Amino acid sequence: MQKSVVILAAVSIAGAALAEGALTLPEEGSISRADGQAAFERIYEVVIHPRCANCHVGEDNIPMWSGPSYGEARPHGMHINAGESRIGAEFLPCQTCHVTSDDFDTAPHAAPRFGIAWQLAPVEFEWFGKSRAEICAQLKDPERNGGRDWRELVEHLEHDASLNGPVAWGWSPGGDREPAPRTLEEHVEDMALWGAAGQPCPAE
Amino acid sequence: MKLTVNGTEHEVDVEPEMPLLWVLRDELDIKGPKYGCGIAQCGACTVHVDGMAVRSCQLPVGDLEGEVTTIEGLGTPESLHAVQAAWVAHQVAQCGYCQSGQIMQAAALLDLNPAPSDEEIDAVMSGNLCRCGTYPRIRAAIHDAAQKLSEA
Ligand code: FES
Ligand code: FES
Repeated sequence: MQKSVVILAAVSIAGAALAEGALTLPEEGSISRADGQAAFERIYEVVIHPRCANCHVGEDNIPMWSGPSYGEARPHGMHINAGESRIGAEFLPCQTCHVTSDDFDTAPHAAPRFGIAWQLAPVEFEWFGKSRAEICAQLKDPERNGGRDWRELVEHLEHDASLNGPVAWGWSPGGDREPAPRTLEEHVEDMALWGAAGQPCPAE
Repeated sequence: MKLTVNGTEHEVDVEPEMPLLWVLRDELDIKGPKYGCGIAQCGACTVHVDGMAVRSCQLPVGDLEGEVTTIEGLGTPESLHAVQAAWVAHQVAQCGYCQSGQIMQAAALLDLNPAPSDEEIDAVMSGNLCRCGTYPRIRAAIHDAAQKLSEA
């Protein structure tokens, strides 16, 4: 118990700095299964949040509009389809409206933007409408998570955030958009805790 | 800062957060791109940045990378772009307010997809609103321009 508190502190400091590779990862097996499951529960709350899940959609390639300001979830307006390219190359490029900028400050109903090319996540990373068990299985499956082990998942979050990509934007989305739960630093820390606990998944 | 619009380099003294549309209209007096909503909901402000359609109301000028083309630089009265010629032939415009954006979006569409289907035209052009409802003529003119470009 004491050990995991120490590790948490170390992870928090590194996460806050968001420097790539600066994170001192907990040792594999040093986190209990129960703590790992609790971390996954928090990860799940983040990834199903509209700021994340709206663009982690399935093979129809249609981003979603959902969240407190929408009431019912609905497909992105304007008949948008990002195509198999997931960047809109077949139809209207996402970047026609979602321009690339490190300045996340946009008006409430304007097109949000971040520091890398706006796009849907790869289709294997489908989260919208998926259950805990489904998302957990996807996150730990290298065939469907970009070939990453748990350490590389942590690195991926840090790297994307360092580019002001969607991982950074999710917690500072601008306008009156609701940010993802808790903080980016806590999310990175949870990914490390879940990983060090052996990436336990819920039964359902 | 410097920016190139329709082949001409301009120097402007503005805040980097200023949207490109403001720079074009208010600083450079290039009034082809229209202000409709300012929030990416209408498409009236569409220009090209290195050939890609961009809603100029959404782009902080400090983040501009590439050369801007507005409707003023797409064709000339003596030598219209195929999309502009098709627009005249089909008398697409009604009040005209949305049409600069429609034409710039249509030209960018044909650049990426030289022979779009009706469904593809609808998928691409649905972000450009027309209060006058000229959509059937827009579709017809795009097919016509695609045909002319393929013969050229
Ligand atoms: S003014 Fe830019 S999309 Fe409406
Ligand atoms: S022609 Fe009037 S808004 Fe389109």
